[in-house]
Amino acid sequence: MDLQAVNNTLPEGFRSAFNYDETSEEYYLNMGPQHPSTHGVLRLVLKLNGESVIEVVPHLGYIHRGLEKVAENQTYLQNIHLTDRLDYLSSHINNLGYCLAIEQALGIGVPLRGEYIRVMICELQRIQSHLLWWGVCGMDLGAVTTFLYGFKERELITDIFEELCGARLTMNYFRPGGSFVDVPDTFIPRVRQVIEELKRALDEYNTLLTENIIFQERTRAIGILDSAKALSYGCTGSVLRASGVSYDVRKNDPYSIYDQFDFDVPIGTVGGSFDRYRLKMEEMVESIKILEQAVQSFPQGPHRSKERASYKLPKGSYYSQVETARGLLGTYIVAEGGPKPYRIKYRSPCFSNLHALNDMAVGHKIADVVTILATLDFVVPEIDR
Amino acid sequence: MNPLQTNTLYPVQNSIGDMVREIFPASAVYINGFITIISLLMLVSLLPVFLIWLERKVAAHFQARLGPMRVGYHGLLQSTADGLKLIFKEILKPEGADTFVFFLAPILPATATFLVMTILPFDHHMQVADPAGGVIYVIGISGLSILGILLAGWASNNKYSLLGAMRSGAQMISFEISLALIMLLIVMVTGTASLREIVLSQQGTILDWWIFKLPVLGSIAFIMYMISSTAELNRAPFDISEAESELTGGFATEYSGISFAMFFFAEFVNMFVSAGIATTLFFGGFLAPQIGIGFLDSVLDFLPGFFWFFLKTFLIIFLYMWFRWTFPRLRVDQLMYLEWKMLLPANILLLMVGGVFLALGWIL
Amino acid sequence: MGIAGASGATEQIAEILDKYPGGIKLVDSIEYLVSWARANSLWPLVYGTACCAMEMMAAGSSKHDWARFGVEVARATPRQADLIVLAGTIVEKMGNNLVTLYKQMPAPKYVIAMGSCAISGGPFYYDTYSVIKGGDRLIPVDVYVPGCPPRPEALLYGIMELQEKIRKEGRRNPWNIRNVLKTPFLDLHTEAKLDWAAKEKEQESVQKVAQEQFKIKNPDYKAPKAKRIVKEKFEDLPRKARAGKNVLNQDFFAALLEKFPDIHLFRQSEIQPVTVSDLGPEYLLDVEIPKEKYLELVQFVKEDERLQMDLLLQLTAIDWQDHFDILVQLLSTVNDHTMFLRCSLAKDEPAIETITTIFQGAEWHEREVYDLFGITFNGHPDMRRIFLNNDFPGHPLRKDFEDPTRVVKRPY
Repeated sequence: MDLQAVNNTLPEGFRSAFNYDETSEEYYLNMGPQHPSTHGVLRLVLKLNGESVIEVVPHLGYIHRGLEKVAENQTYLQNIHLTDRLDYLSSHINNLGYCLAIEQALGIGVPLRGEYIRVMICELQRIQSHLLWWGVCGMDLGAVTTFLYGFKERELITDIFEELCGARLTMNYFRPGGSFVDVPDTFIPRVRQVIEELKRALDEYNTLLTENIIFQERTRAIGILDSAKALSYGCTGSVLRASGVSYDVRKNDPYSIYDQFDFDVPIGTVGGSFDRYRLKMEEMVESIKILEQAVQSFPQGPHRSKERASYKLPKGSYYSQVETARGLLGTYIVAEGGPKPYRIKYRSPCFSNLHALNDMAVGHKIADVVTILATLDFVVPEIDR
Repeated sequence: MNPLQTNTLYPVQNSIGDMVREIFPASAVYINGFITIISLLMLVSLLPVFLIWLERKVAAHFQARLGPMRVGYHGLLQSTADGLKLIFKEILKPEGADTFVFFLAPILPATATFLVMTILPFDHHMQVADPAGGVIYVIGISGLSILGILLAGWASNNKYSLLGAMRSGAQMISFEISLALIMLLIVMVTGTASLREIVLSQQGTILDWWIFKLPVLGSIAFIMYMISSTAELNRAPFDISEAESELTGGFATEYSGISFAMFFFAEFVNMFVSAGIATTLFFGGFLAPQIGIGFLDSVLDFLPGFFWFFLKTFLIIFLYMWFRWTFPRLRVDQLMYLEWKMLLPANILLLMVGGVFLALGWIL
Repeated sequence: MGIAGASGATEQIAEILDKYPGGIKLVDSIEYLVSWARANSLWPLVYGTACCAMEMMAAGSSKHDWARFGVEVARATPRQADLIVLAGTIVEKMGNNLVTLYKQMPAPKYVIAMGSCAISGGPFYYDTYSVIKGGDRLIPVDVYVPGCPPRPEALLYGIMELQEKIRKEGRRNPWNIRNVLKTPFLDLHTEAKLDWAAKEKEQESVQKVAQEQFKIKNPDYKAPKAKRIVKEKFEDLPRKARAGKNVLNQDFFAALLEKFPDIHLFRQSEIQPVTVSDLGPEYLLDVEIPKEKYLELVQFVKEDERLQMDLLLQLTAIDWQDHFDILVQLLSTVNDHTMFLRCSLAKDEPAIETITTIFQGAEWHEREVYDLFGITFNGHPDMRRIFLNNDFPGHPLRKDFEDPTRVVKRPY
């Protein structure tokens, strides 16, 4: 056998050498880009021995749209709608991150009502995103019904957003200085209703999935990531917190008026899939807590500050970070003084979180790779941008 | 145990059979045989159509939706449309596949289920054949469907198919053991392996059904039967061989059109057969659920036996569906752990305790 | 598709039966039945690339429930699917896979292009170097559903339109039998329509009477004029400073200066303070470092007791026309502080040491910079392109990148 010729046909990117031993049963398996559990178009190449995973190599770029290049030729306001399409499950929070950077550059303030709207909308978005994640996580583990239950409650929040800005998914709602329109009168009653509904739903979810013995067996001690590894990979969000590092931008570097609300940042102990799952469930409870406080003290007044005739950022570079449903989203803008940015870079949380996949998956079974992917909770268009 | 009676054509002992015998006394045996086979074929072809519709409706209502609504009353014709579409679809054969085996594979599971159907006692006189070793026959024949799945996985020339088939083979072979042991328990306490006689041994009230007649053991055996048969059927939470989120389509990944429909249909008939056997073994088969009050019992007896058989079977099928739309899936090693380290020892223990009960005469 | 018949099978049936009396009608009926079955049993492929996939999933959820139309059995394998819903942007790298998927599906197969990205490239039509401007450049599309993303109802409408198309498609006589069966046995839709019309008529007559009575009672009543919408005026508010952090920028910078005296603050604009002490908690510490000290400094910043920059947020580059800047952003989860390290590189054949030995997470970030800027990292374990195809010409995020075959420049 010509080893060199065989080596050239092997898949790219593997660190471990291929085992030419005749007794070895190693083989490669391609997962994706069209695969039900890769949540879109992620492609994984697995090196397997029977059902056990030896190495995983993710291949990105199947939805790389050149968003940062497109942004360089659009004005600052036009770019808000592009941030929706990064992580479309937390588009409000992406909008906010981008607007914060512009506000910082131009020194634009936000009235109190505007800040309240921001916090409430962001928390609703976080819950909405987590509900979808919960459904998909269950479906990846084989419980299809969870998917529909998650969507059922998600629609309640989607309805609020629809009434707010007309869109269901790509919102384009926040502007530098507030939001482009005030909330409708029905907003607060609707949020109250959603809070009540969610409390009931979360109990149901816990009975259906969290307390299920099969689910716990499938997720406990699967895909363990210790805190040193998590930090080294640059993981953020619930992946980092599940490993025991308490870092939440809302708490540690509060933006908007998150410092006025009382909420906890849940922390995991082991860093396994079940920890990540549990954290997300608890985060929903915390978000509901914030919403309850905000509903109590929702102020009157203007929803935004004065609109500028043009948004021309002075020369310099600006950075803002927010906590999306998946982790830390950084927006870095380099301005040259004109109406268009010189360069925009989005620091995507999923990009770093996914990088830790190989470390988590090694030694587990194929089914566990699916579990890990499900609890990592990534959105591929945000990774690829 | 008596040897299987191979050369006997069982007489059809109901009114239709009597009528045929009266009109064509000479060729009655053949005509009756023909009629039985035709009716069974019709049942086999109509059952999956109904069961698939039922599954989709049950799933939909579990998930707070409506399910198929547009074709026929509440989408009753939905699976007809699906079947018709699949028949008229292009059949693809992947490059490098073993043609003969690739097209043979879907036929085997369908054949196996059809063969098992022949010995199900639908009513007092509605059974194609009643071999003395009926239980043994069931265990033996259902092995054919494993063969079909293994061949499908092997012939497809696809890694997902192969993985799915290997998982499925390992799973079905191991769960077959505990299934056989549970059946053995019933055979032991009844003293017969003929399905009809097993049903007849449960005559009396509800309490005479084996699930209640064997104190505690009966219900434990039934629960274990449900677990093992769900695994044997490759249904969630044991559907690791299809595991859509892991292996895309499992062993059937490369099958399209009618050859996929064969797998699909066989799966549902299999579910019916499995539930039918559970009914026969534990719930008194075609016997009416009498409760010991004379008037009510006579009303219940008025309904035909096959009505009770189908009612009980569909209730058990509903249980299967309930499992499927509730539980997450197990992992392949957990499944093997469940069988070899938990179910199998428990089964053997159950069999031993059953033997002790029998010896002491504790069975009601 | 031949002269007659929705597929090869029905065509063959037609060839045999047409010769016999009544055969034509029989063939028509068979064709009707087959197309009815196909229209009512569309199994979609599990395929979604971007935002539209979420709305596709929402169309399958309890509220919208496409199962009502028989679109329930989403298959993960193309062999059993009838329908691809192109949900989301299609990029060059995905293009080949999409064509393969389409080829793997058995005929007859249908495609719905959902959302503006799949129709024309949508928001990514201009300036982008990787997006394919419309799914129909790769595979034939039957129905287009516009929107960004379209609502689930729009997708359902698209599916119904596709069903309509399938019912007629390829049939010799698509109208014949449909006319016979045009009035269904139970037409709830028409019934409801008639009901509504009757109710409206009733209401109108009641209103007319009420209006006349009102006029008699108040003869000099004038309807109030609608107010003009007043544009709200908003105050211009000054920005409130963000809450402070545990450690101040100057302490950080002092700690750095102690070890590396030749670093200095990156002065980028008029508003940025010149001295460190002016750096409030708002501004980020942005330090320009020499290339030789790069690796050493990152190591120091990570391990120093006072700094503890333990998390690599991002590693990226900026193309300043005449040189590149490598930008490393670090975060301290202990001090809640973040800082940039900046290192300038020459324009021709830019290269720098890798920091994967210090932060494992840098690996993909460096691959991204290599892919989009063409900066190589010496000692990197896996220096390949990460997003683009291996044969992609050039590095797209460079300011001088031009590729007229791929990029359509924004005309305004």
